Amino acid sequence: MRKALPSVLSVVSAIILCFFAAALTRDFGTAVDAFLAMWWGAFGDWPKFFETGSAATILRPLGEAGTKAAILTFTGLSVAVAFRVGLFNIGAQGQLVVGALAAAVVGAKVNAPGFVHVTLCLAAAAAAGGLYALIPAVLKLKRGVHEVISTIMLNWVAISLVDNWLVIGPLKATASGDNSISGTDQILPSAELPRLLGETSRLNFGLVLALFAALGTWLFLTRFTRGFEWKAIGLSQDAARAAGIDVDRGFLEAMVLAGAFAGLGGAVLILGTELKYPATLGAPWGFDGIAMALIGQGHPLGVLAISTLFGGLRAGGTRMQLFGVHKSFPELIQGLALLLVAAKLLWERLLRKRGTP
Amino acid sequence: MILALINSILDAAPPLVFAALGATLSERAGVVNVGIEGMMRAGAFAAAVAALVMPTPLGVLVGMAAGAAVAGLHGWLTIRLRSDQVVSGMAINLVMLALGTFLLEAVFNSPSSTPAITQLPLWFGHSPLTWLAIVLPFIVHYAIRSTPWGLRLRAVGEKPQAVAAMGVRVAPLRFGAVLLSGALAGLGGAALSTATLDRFEHHMPSGLGFMAVAAMVFGRWTPLGAAGAAAFFAFGNALRIGLASSAPGLLEVVPKGVLLALPYALTLVVLSVQGAKNVAPAALGQPYDPELR
Repeated sequence: MRKALPSVLSVVSAIILCFFAAALTRDFGTAVDAFLAMWWGAFGDWPKFFETGSAATILRPLGEAGTKAAILTFTGLSVAVAFRVGLFNIGAQGQLVVGALAAAVVGAKVNAPGFVHVTLCLAAAAAAGGLYALIPAVLKLKRGVHEVISTIMLNWVAISLVDNWLVIGPLKATASGDNSISGTDQILPSAELPRLLGETSRLNFGLVLALFAALGTWLFLTRFTRGFEWKAIGLSQDAARAAGIDVDRGFLEAMVLAGAFAGLGGAVLILGTELKYPATLGAPWGFDGIAMALIGQGHPLGVLAISTLFGGLRAGGTRMQLFGVHKSFPELIQGLALLLVAAKLLWERLLRKRGTP
Repeated sequence: MILALINSILDAAPPLVFAALGATLSERAGVVNVGIEGMMRAGAFAAAVAALVMPTPLGVLVGMAAGAAVAGLHGWLTIRLRSDQVVSGMAINLVMLALGTFLLEAVFNSPSSTPAITQLPLWFGHSPLTWLAIVLPFIVHYAIRSTPWGLRLRAVGEKPQAVAAMGVRVAPLRFGAVLLSGALAGLGGAALSTATLDRFEHHMPSGLGFMAVAAMVFGRWTPLGAAGAAAFFAFGNALRIGLASSAPGLLEVVPKGVLLALPYALTLVVLSVQGAKNVAPAALGQPYDPELR
């Protein structure tokens, strides 16, 4: 718990700082209103619920929060898993893009009964992301190319090829009727992730998948031999090698798992809410994963917790627009929190002064 | 046709050249700078806003100062607090992305762009920044190749302990390089909002900062190489835009997205063919801890 303190303090300070930023540019009252709107939009509009008794005031925000939390959890896990062996996977964005595209293509072009079809789409996305993440791992092992550089390059290769070629070119939706459509073909209903709360809320099975992924990763990393080996590799490659651990295999496996998680994040986005590969993905989910992993301190459950918080805030962010605050405001909070987490030494000094005499 | 292409390269290259030079300076001093994108964004925004109330050339200087200020944050985090350099850079990118959008909405009540400003004047058909972008790589090359400061800068990126043993303080040297790097990235951003366009747009610099990092790697961490690669990538961009207007048929054969991906793919290929280990500065990415010898 004590280890989590810097992260908690960073998030709290980021929220306070951003509140002042909003209060300075608008006025105090508007800032309070905007923050309340964000909060109700994130975790349910409870005052309105007690006033009107309409369940949608709770379920709809929770649905938006849940879908965003699921994607952030997946990309956050992607970065966190690579961190475990000491690799910095900046490439979650690219892996998410190829995974999302794979899910959209299999979802639209393949015919299969409901349960099988969704599974196929998820598998395709995980495989695409995993294979794409294999490239930097192999380049590192065979050619000594630093993974930070190769994953940055691969991000932009994926974004350029998918967003600026495939989705507007070969895979562009076939126009039906007179309305022009952007993005790829709609996925078939059998490929959609089932909704959990009926039609009022977009909450879908993706959140359950993210939950299982986080719990599963936690169990794997803490209770299995291989998970322990990964940790050993991350702490010291030389020591791990001396202990007879196959470091190269650890790198490859961890990167493939990281890519698969990012790909699944893309699949949840496509199969859960977008229902096709859209003209733009809306948010840099893969880059956000870096923030989730670091604020969550690389701990799968920490990633889950912080993704839930920011998934919620980002869902609520759309409501701040009414008060003249841009809907990307929660991303400012998130970025600032990451910056504060990065100042690790500062927190350590502060906490040490308080903690020990 | 060829003249038009050269002209569009001269217009498109400066932001990339400045940013690539900035990235090179910081990394030769041993500090990874993937925050170039965010520093460019700060420069582009600050320059466009400042130029609303003062002459545009002064606005460009404000843009450089803004880039340097953001770089100062990067330096404080990575040099003073010894934070992970990649983490700090990415955090800066995320903050600047959101902050730019927030300020656009909060100050100008517009989600898309700032009001128009007067662009930089043209000298011989191009903005002054174009001519600066041609000269500056040689100046930086000379500075880090042949001046005592440059020698120390390179040494601090290869073996900071040796520099410290020589009696030169590592931290101020690195901090200076990072600040200069940010100022150059800010200049690149300012070039976007005062020369390429006449305002700050919400998507700026839309990945150019990362392309500058690619150019630096492609140019093997040397000023002339980085600037050359930046010009080459700008040539690719110019070709892509030029083709769209002059020969749209060709874009059917070679799609736009493929041309966009090319700089990154080429950088990756070159890097994997030559192997990266002997090219990058030896102490790149390692915080300097005076207690470790």
